[in-house]
Amino acid sequence: MTSEYSAHTPPNTNVSSFDAALPGTLPKLNPFCVDLAIRTALALQCDIQRQSSFDRKHYFYSDLPSGYQITQQYAPLAKNGTLFIPQPDGTQTPIRIKQIQLEQDTAKSTFNPRTQTSHIDLNRAGTGLMEIVSEADLRSPEEAAAYIRTLQSLLRAIGSSDGNMEDGSLRCDVNVSINRTDAQPGSGTRCEIKNLNSVKYITAAITHEIHRQSILLTSSPEARVEQETRGFDEMTFETFRLRSKEDAPDYRYMPDPNLGVLRLSQERIDVIRDALPELPWTMRARLKEIYALSDRDVEVLLNIDSGRDVRYDGEDPGESGAVKYFDRLVEGVGSSSDSGRQRDPKVVANWMTHELLGQLASQKKTFKQNTISAAQLGELIDMVQQRAITGTTGKHLIRHMLTNPTNDPPHKIAQDLDLLAFSSSQSSPPSSAPHAPIINSTISTSTSTSDPSPSSIPIPASTSASASASDTDPLTSLCENAIAAFPSVVAAAKKGNKNVLNKIVGAVMRESRGRADAKRVKEVVEGLVYGSGES
Amino acid sequence: MGSCLVSRRLVTSRRSLTTTADQWRQIIHERNPGINAFVHITPPAKVPSGHGPLAGTTVAVKDNIATVDSDTTCSSKMLDGFQPPFDATAVKLLREAGADIVGKTNCDEFGMGSLNAYSYHGPTVNPYQDSSDKLERRWPGGSSGGSAAAVAAGMCQVALGTDTGGSIRLPASYCGVVGLKPSYGLISRWGVVAYADSLDCVGVLASKVGDVRRTFGILSTYDLRDPTSATPEARSRSSKVVKKRLSRWDAERDATKPLRGLRVGIPQEYFPSELSPAVIKPVRNVIKSLQEQGASVVPISLPSTSYALSSYYVLASAEASSNLARYDGIQYGSHARPPPGSDVSKTSRNYAISRTKYFGPEVQKRILLGTYALTADAFDNYFLQAQRVRQLVKNDFNKIFSLPNFYFTDPLVASEQSRSPSSSSSSSAAPTQVDILIHPSAIRTAPKMQPTTATSEHKSEATDTDSYVQDVLTVPASLAGLPALSVPAPKRFLDREGDGWPIGVSVVGQWGSDELVMRVGEVVEQLGA
Repeated sequence: MTSEYSAHTPPNTNVSSFDAALPGTLPKLNPFCVDLAIRTALALQCDIQRQSSFDRKHYFYSDLPSGYQITQQYAPLAKNGTLFIPQPDGTQTPIRIKQIQLEQDTAKSTFNPRTQTSHIDLNRAGTGLMEIVSEADLRSPEEAAAYIRTLQSLLRAIGSSDGNMEDGSLRCDVNVSINRTDAQPGSGTRCEIKNLNSVKYITAAITHEIHRQSILLTSSPEARVEQETRGFDEMTFETFRLRSKEDAPDYRYMPDPNLGVLRLSQERIDVIRDALPELPWTMRARLKEIYALSDRDVEVLLNIDSGRDVRYDGEDPGESGAVKYFDRLVEGVGSSSDSGRQRDPKVVANWMTHELLGQLASQKKTFKQNTISAAQLGELIDMVQQRAITGTTGKHLIRHMLTNPTNDPPHKIAQDLDLLAFSSSQSSPPSSAPHAPIINSTISTSTSTSDPSPSSIPIPASTSASASASDTDPLTSLCENAIAAFPSVVAAAKKGNKNVLNKIVGAVMRESRGRADAKRVKEVVEGLVYGSGES
Repeated sequence: MGSCLVSRRLVTSRRSLTTTADQWRQIIHERNPGINAFVHITPPAKVPSGHGPLAGTTVAVKDNIATVDSDTTCSSKMLDGFQPPFDATAVKLLREAGADIVGKTNCDEFGMGSLNAYSYHGPTVNPYQDSSDKLERRWPGGSSGGSAAAVAAGMCQVALGTDTGGSIRLPASYCGVVGLKPSYGLISRWGVVAYADSLDCVGVLASKVGDVRRTFGILSTYDLRDPTSATPEARSRSSKVVKKRLSRWDAERDATKPLRGLRVGIPQEYFPSELSPAVIKPVRNVIKSLQEQGASVVPISLPSTSYALSSYYVLASAEASSNLARYDGIQYGSHARPPPGSDVSKTSRNYAISRTKYFGPEVQKRILLGTYALTADAFDNYFLQAQRVRQLVKNDFNKIFSLPNFYFTDPLVASEQSRSPSSSSSSSAAPTQVDILIHPSAIRTAPKMQPTTATSEHKSEATDTDSYVQDVLTVPASLAGLPALSVPAPKRFLDREGDGWPIGVSVVGQWGSDELVMRVGEVVEQLGA
């Protein structure tokens, strides 16, 4: 309850004198652990006990230096909760939560079979541990797996645990009992399987245990399952006997005379309730109902969100959560107007799930490694929407910003890379665009799409209406150059084959490096060829 | 004998401090071999602290209180050579106040015992010498026997002890010194090797009440590292009512009747049949003198007292069995290698080898008793029952004291308190209520050491039961967490037909009224002047 713990620090480098059970030391209840347990209890709709107490559970084992574990045997922190788990048919089943109790974690013990010695890592000893006990409401290995996954995403969402089973942040003891179909449900004898540390193992262990118990019960009418504690062999996927009920140790529970009674004020509970992070099911409903996102988008966002950072002591994870990132985009973060501007949730979802996540995936990065802030992506989306850049350029920018992380705003990056779209006199004056850029530079185009080397057709470019570098706008001159390069096409077009002009449009598009809008190019080219209009 | 730092404050120049520090150690080296009060003598600090309210004051520390510069063995072979990586909060406060920690004192193993017989450092001898000059070896009492003997022999000015069920007051009584077990939670237990957390108190022994008060004043402070440390709020609330009570006393007293207005309770249950006449007489004389000085003496009853002793032994042993579970011989302390062929298939079997070898007999006895009291079958009848009795004992005290108990400051408990009559903060106490209690500290004077039974192994069952009965006088205040001070009865009050050895008078008050208890203790002390 006293020292910081990470599964990845070297053994015995982070040990408080209390956790090492040095004589003369006294425990101290970590108020953050209590707050996180209250948070969890609220999320699981439990009755929080205004008064709970701590007890000592005694046993002699090398992972327990003091000879006892401080836990809440007689009066747990919370009771009577519910967790709804999803069924394959889309319905939800309530699973009753019996209680939530706070405990001390034990040290980590690893056995070296070669030297026949045990190694004890005290780093974990004394860390706050929250035990969530469910009632016997789960009816299959699949339901147990759904329960663990739902609980895991809940714990992550509220920040009370990273739920990481490989690191041991979430560990599971499973009780399995079966009964004959003609007997009362729950009338079987339970066997407890200790320390299962993945959903896969949980499912496998339950499956094997059901198999073992049914063989036993069907072998003869008198056969009975013996109550016992069992382990799980990760190699054979079978459970094995650890000890029988008769061998069960007497833990000699005793009220802890140091920590004694924990009293919670209603005020403390209320403050935590008011600051409770959004729960996964509330989040799903909100994304679906308020933002009207497609089921696919919602699932993608929630899946990524569940992998977000869980900060120490449940601190606000900020933008590391995909949903929070999405919310900030919709709210208008990075918008040029001071008050912020709402963005279309569907457009945002499209940019996030397809472009950003797509690029991350192709670069083999997770959302946690995303280096583009919500403000940057927001501005980028605005620029595309306002046609300061084209959609193609937007995608290109995302790729560029992921490979070259920067705090620069996208308009500056676009400007530095000469990626701002050609303006058109028909579109609104660019000065109304968020960050009206003034560019007076030449770009090189190439007639070959695959050859980026400079060509001989220098084209002055400017997106500014007030630009004085050129009398004609750069898109028009680009089109003029292309038309000049394909006289036979122009001739064919003039004969009435309008479709051949696509060849010229394609050349312009290639040479514009994505800065031009295809529809607009077509208009300009047609205008120049047929002389019907001036752009 | 001894020295009073109130009457002769030590010079504070560095050189003289060094000299004095060396002189004190000289005295210890001369006197300790025959007494065995010190188990470790700390060399003087190279740069003695020349300032602070306790500058130059020599303090001995019981060997179950952690000191960073010397072993802390609790007189147990189990912790032979164990040097803690930290100072106990009490030791730290003493050092900061400029005190000179002269050494560690002998005690019963882990504080379990009432003679100072159960120590792997060997027994401590009571240094008290009466005028008749007959050489007689007596026990100093336990478990803080080394601390009491060190003060009594003039080897230090002040000693820290711990008191779980009388471990300061009993040796203070046997050795003829002053010993204070403060209110539970006032002095931090951080760094005090736990015997029974809910009862353990750090306390102070000295020749005079004034020295105890000055030291207690330094040590009584809130400590975040002790979860049972009384909160600043509890401290200020109780000191407010105590101050109010003291100023009312000051207003009512006059030169001829200095104790006018003080209500002194005499609990009838504290005068059991085992009490020797040599004890009753001086205590009666003290009470009579207090009455002559204007105090109202009120006979009172604490009906749950008779159950207190068994409650204490169940609770203390249960907590001890839990607290001593950590001594497995692996991480620190003594380790016994399993002999070849021994069954170490279970971790506990391995531990048992070291625990059997290095725990003394009394410790093993209490661990076994406590372990049994906590087993599933016995828990309700023993542990829970003992807890209920403990509550009855507390209720008894809260009923008879005029001041309220402020140890718990939770609104929940405070509202429970307001329902009990003790919380009435009326200026005139109910006729049955008293300010303090007075009773003998011990049922007898210091027992003789039998030359052949100096080692614990030879002690008979009968002696054990005797020492348990002794605890009847000291244990209730421990169960209720109350301040209790043992002051030697003035020599002129001693029974002429008695053995001439000291008798302690206990002054007990409501939680937090330590100052009131010490004021009355000073009055008793001055009766001899």
